[in-house]
Order: sequence, then C-alpha cells, then structure tokens
Amino acid sequence: MIEEKSKKIYIEEANELLISLESSLLVLEDDPTDNSNIELVFRVMHTLKGNSSMFGVAVVSEFVHDLETIYDKIRTGTLELTKEILDSTLVSLDHLKIIIQDTTLENAENKENHYRLIKQNNALIDNETTSIKSEPILNSEEQLNSFHIYFAPSITILKNGFNVLYLLSELSEIGKTSVLPFIKQLNELTEFDPIDCICSWDIIIETTQTSKEILDLFVFVKEDAKIEINELKCVDLVSNKEFKKIIEESFYQEEKIELSEILQHAKTFGKSIEIKKTEEVLALPLSKNDDHKKKSKKKSVTSIRVSSDKLDELMNLVSELVTTQAGLSLFSEKNKIQELEGVTENVEKLTRRLRDISFGMTLLPINTMFLRFQRMVRDTSDVLGKEVDFITEGGDTELDKTIIETLTDPLMHVIRNSLDHGIETREERLKKGKTAKGKLLLKAYYSGVFVYIQIIDDGKGMDPAVIRSKAIENGLITEEDHLSEKEIFNLIFYPGFSTASVVTDVSGRGVGMDVVKQNITDLKGTILVESKLNEGTSLTIKLPLTLSIIDGLLIDLDGVKYIVPVSVITKCYEVQNEDMCNNFNKLLLLDGEQVPFINLREEFGYKKLDTGYSQLIVVSDEENSVGISVDFIVGQYQAVIKPLGSYFRKQDFVSGATILGDGSIALVLDTHKIIELYVEQIKTEV
Amino acid sequence: MKNVLIVDDSESIRVVVETALNEAGYNVFAGENGEEGLQLLIKNPQIDLIISDFNMPIMDGITFLKKVRQLEEYKYLPVLMLTTETQGTKKVEAKKSGATGWITKPFDKEQLISIVKKVIR
Repeated sequence: MIEEKSKKIYIEEANELLISLESSLLVLEDDPTDNSNIELVFRVMHTLKGNSSMFGVAVVSEFVHDLETIYDKIRTGTLELTKEILDSTLVSLDHLKIIIQDTTLENAENKENHYRLIKQNNALIDNETTSIKSEPILNSEEQLNSFHIYFAPSITILKNGFNVLYLLSELSEIGKTSVLPFIKQLNELTEFDPIDCICSWDIIIETTQTSKEILDLFVFVKEDAKIEINELKCVDLVSNKEFKKIIEESFYQEEKIELSEILQHAKTFGKSIEIKKTEEVLALPLSKNDDHKKKSKKKSVTSIRVSSDKLDELMNLVSELVTTQAGLSLFSEKNKIQELEGVTENVEKLTRRLRDISFGMTLLPINTMFLRFQRMVRDTSDVLGKEVDFITEGGDTELDKTIIETLTDPLMHVIRNSLDHGIETREERLKKGKTAKGKLLLKAYYSGVFVYIQIIDDGKGMDPAVIRSKAIENGLITEEDHLSEKEIFNLIFYPGFSTASVVTDVSGRGVGMDVVKQNITDLKGTILVESKLNEGTSLTIKLPLTLSIIDGLLIDLDGVKYIVPVSVITKCYEVQNEDMCNNFNKLLLLDGEQVPFINLREEFGYKKLDTGYSQLIVVSDEENSVGISVDFIVGQYQAVIKPLGSYFRKQDFVSGATILGDGSIALVLDTHKIIELYVEQIKTEV
Repeated sequence: MKNVLIVDDSESIRVVVETALNEAGYNVFAGENGEEGLQLLIKNPQIDLIISDFNMPIMDGITFLKKVRQLEEYKYLPVLMLTTETQGTKKVEAKKSGATGWITKPFDKEQLISIVKKVIR
C-alpha cells in the first residue's frame, strides 16, 4: 500500500518516538505531577499510534491505543499516575521496541508478552472497553437506485473554506444526477455578503451506492446543512426525458420541490414510486463567538535536526581552529609572555572541548543501520527458505555518520553471505543436531578508541582445505605455499575469490568480499575472519572512532616530524643505538620480553646512528607488537588529518598529513600498515 | 497545478501525504508544526489547501488554524485537519475554529486524494 521508503521512515521515527517517550517517562518517575511531561507523553503516544495505523502496523497501534487511553485519563485528571502505571508503561515500551521489529508477532515469546501486557494495561484503565472497533464493511449491492436529495446548507457554510460546487460534482461522479438549484430571496445589494450561501439544491440521483454512502459524501457539511435523502424505488427517473422536463420547469417556480410533487409527476407517466425516508439531518449553524482559548503550553524540544552539510562545515571549522590553536601555542611558547600563556592554555582547553562536542554531534547510534538489516534478513531468509533468528546487540554504539554510511553496504554483503552460504537449511541443521533455526548475531561494542562490529553465525563454517584448493585453482597460491588457517581465511578477501559452487540471486558472484575489505580499509579499519567447520563463522570489523582529528605523538626523525596515533601505542622506551645496529635478529629485550623492532632511520633511508640513544615506540595491532625507533619524541599533539595529494596517495604507510603550529607539515604514520609490511618482510627473509 | 501545505510533526505522515499528493499531481509544501506552517503559508501565498495535524509541538493544529483564519487573505482557504477516530470532540472543536473538514487516520492514498478533491479541484 505504502512504499518501502516510507516504511523505513516509519520505523526510524517510531524508534525516535520510543526513545523520547522513555526519557519523558523517566522524568515523570521523579516528578509525577509534571503536567507538561504528561502532555508530551500523551502526544508522542498519539503520534505513534497514528503512524502505526497509517502503516498498517495494527499490533503496535492497538497496543499504543491502550497506553494512550491511560495517559489521556491522567492528563484529564480522572486517573492518578501511580508507580504501577509507570512500571507497566516502561515494560510496555520495551515490548514496543521489540514488536516494532516483529510486527506479525512471529516470535512466540513476543506474542505471549503482547497479550499479557494488553491485559495488564486494560486492567489499569478500569476495565473499560478500549480496543479500536473496526467497522464492518457492508457489501454494497450492485443495484441501481434513485434518490432524491434535498441539500440546504447554512448561510455561513462558505466561511470555512468549503466549496459546495465540488460536492455537487462529487455527487455526479457516483451516478447520473439531475441537479436543481433553488435560490432564496436576495438581500439588497448593499447588505449582501458575497460569502453568504443563499442557495439550496434538489438533486435526483441514480446510483449503485446506498443512502449511507451518499450521506458520507456530505461528511464535512453534515453539521452545517439540512440534508434529506429519500430513496425512490424507481430506476430510470433521471434518464426519463419527460420527467426531467417537468422537474426543470419547477425550477422557475422558485420553490423547493416537494416530495409529493415528484411522486405526482412520476405517477403521471406510470411509474410506481415507493418512498423510503432514510435520513434527515438538521444542525444549527455553529456559533462563531464560542471562543475557547487553549492554554498554550511550553513544550520541551529534546532534539533538533541539523543538515549534515552544516555539521560538515562545523567540523571543518573546528579542524581549522585546532590547527590555528597549535600555531598560537607555539607562538606563546617562544615568546614566554605570562599573560599570553594563560590565554593560550584556555584556548587550548576550549578547543579540545569544542572538538569533542562537535565530534559527538556527528555520531549516530549504529541502530539506525541495524534496523535496515532486520528487514533485509527476513526477506533474504524467506527467499532462501531458511529460518534465521537475527539478533542485534549494542545498537546504541555510536559511530561517525560517514562511517555508518560507508559501512552499510559492506555489512549488508557480509550478512547476505552468512545467510546464503553460512546458515544451513532446516533439514541440514537438524541432521547435524543443531537447532532448526539458524542464529545470526550482529553486535557492536567499544573497546578503547575502536569500535568493533561482529557478524557471527552458527552455520556450516568454512573449510580451510576447500578454500586452499580453490585458491590454488585460481592461482592465488601454489601447492608449495604453507599457510596458517588464518592466512587461508584471509584469502577470501582476494578479488575474484568465491567458493560458492552455485551462483544464487543472493550472493556468490565472487565480487564482494574484496570490496568489503577495501571499504573497511578505506575507513582505516581492519577485518578478521574466524571460522570453525560446522560451528559457524565470525567476522570482526575494527574501526577507529573518528577520522579527521586524532591525538597523536609528535616524533622527530632526522629533523623531519611525524605523527604516530596515540591509540596504537602501548609503551615507549629509550634504547641505545648501538644495540640496534649490531642486532642480527632484529629483536630487543624490553621488560624481559623480546620485541621485534623497525629502525625507521634505516627504513626511511637516513644515515644509521651507532652511538647515542633513540626512542622506541611500541605499537601493536590485534596480535603483533612492533617497536619503531625514532630520534626523539617531541610531545603529544592534536592532529587534524588531511588527505595527501594525489602523488602520495599510494604510500600506504602514511595515512595522511597534518599541519603543525609553525606551518610545517608532519606525516601521520599508519602503524597497522607498517606492522603488516614488517611481517611480510620477515616472511620473505625466511 | 494546485499547491497543498501539509503540517505534521511526524515525518512519516508528511512523507506519505507528500508522495501521495505528488503522484496525484499536486505540489506540496511541508512544515513540522503550526509555526512553520504559518511561515510557509506567508511565504507561499499560492497555497490552495492546508492539511494539518492536531497535536504538534510549538504550535498545535487548532492554534494554527485560528491564526490562519485571522489572516484576511486566508479567511476562506480550505483547511483539512488530520484526526483519529477516537477524537470525535476534536472534529467539533476544529469546525468551530474554522476547519473545512478532516481526514481520519489511518487513511490510504485513494482516501486522501478523494478527500482532497472534496475541497479543491
């Protein structure tokens, strides 16, 4: 009925509404007399109900209807807001969050909860019948009937912006009509108000509709007009020329046609007419002086929408500010003016807070993305004929909006893969002794400055042997290559690699996993696959929280400055250059542990130093720790990362550049890449 | 082309109304509350019909309707109010405040268009 796009908006909005409802309820818990909040709760419930019924989500609308009734009573003072009601509302709210995803109550537990809560809420309303009555639909018989309608609108009817002529043409759309206007005596021109309606109409209509349906057309004017509908048990009055002529003649008599007159006329040409008086409505014109003022209430605005362009601009400005502030700090350091130093420090503090706040604004809960998958999983598993329990965890984890946008497609792909190749059909699963329903878990969580997103299924898993032979077949590796299980799984990220024996509609064209990896890498993230045959596969995506400004360690190497992100550094040591130069296995003993190291001087082609000291920064990714030697550490630095120019794009050990306080440029080292390069290098040497 | 102003705080309703009306060949302006509605109306005097919700933050539908009726040039502009079936009293209140008619939620595209056609053609 209503497009997919709107449905998505409905769900997003419903979730927003539930969130604001929850926070208002929590405020009410502290102060149950807060009328403005009760008003707000009622309004949000009302909107939610309206939207849900609009989108045909009867489960939600009927459920909310009861809640709304409770709060309407509280609002009007006939019910007191007790803790019991609040508790029940909050539980209902949690339930709503669930059934918005499960609108057909497929899950038995949801179903049970649903009816239990409805009962519970109904008990709170004092046993009044509250469920929405659905009007029985009458089967209208396809039979032609004639009606005489007398329609005399009140003199003020045009003042509400209603055009009576539209009504008349609407009537002529449902059947053949013969309309006769009757005009009352006009006032003197000087007293005449052009907005007054001084006309009434006699309408003879021949239609298949019932008198009730005809009356429905007058829905807006019922109260403002005198309407009479009389059924004439006679079929072809309107088309009867003779009858028409007689009726038209009466038009000039400036009189309302009386029913008896019609009867008379009809009889004259031998029609037997039975008159069934069905409807008569008379309402007095509404008095205009009835002025009832509504108390204007202050309503709290909990959130506003800001266009993403404005946010981007804000972020740009903050970035500029951070850079400028660095310049100021440097200047103040050089000049040693006490007053200036105080100001500079304050500016620095404020900048940092401004940075954090504006970053916070660009973050969105990942739930916005998870919700989109919910539907996709249901549809896809339907297509594949598989039963899948899709569980999401950590939907409130926040991520930069651009990251969320970029992540949606790759994640979609991974989930599809899991559904298609991972999770088995019901029969297969039962044969293996698994539960009939497959499980797909999508979960997000913070860890340090990273966000982890995991997609875990309990499907058939991947067979390293199959992947290996496929890779050999595709020429990615040779028979002689000995790879660890992890390395084998990593092969699936190579372009053109697909083990799917059958290409299905859903996935398996071998384009995808390499693109997934590329997308994640573009976000400076990493991806890790683990799999156990017949137990399932898990895919872990690790992403940095923000992209454009990082806390870094400013280091110096032969007079050139570099930045290492603080987030990856585990420890810093001071080491003797002598130890590094005469080191054959490239390992240093630090705190009783052997740590492999990279001598950056050597790697970057500077002259090696064999005396004095260097600083060793130990950086680590998920499994490897590597020391990086630098001349000295300048200090901590907030780095606004700018992309490198096109000539340097391909240098993958550098993730960007930043402008220092003195206007010079420092490259930001991508330590993940350095570790990766190092590990590869070691392998080739072996 | 006829111009319709939809005022509702719920984005889904706005989108549904907007898409349905656009498909039927109407030009649609959308506002989130009465205040926005008023501003849009003043900026776009070519508007032929207003559809407004009752419950909205900042300025509710009735206040909005009354303000519209106070403006000389919109005294007789058709205004349809969005309502749910439980609000019988609301219809009366709306009528008193000068509403032309109402649209009962839930409605589908066809119902919406047929009601709109009742008041503008």
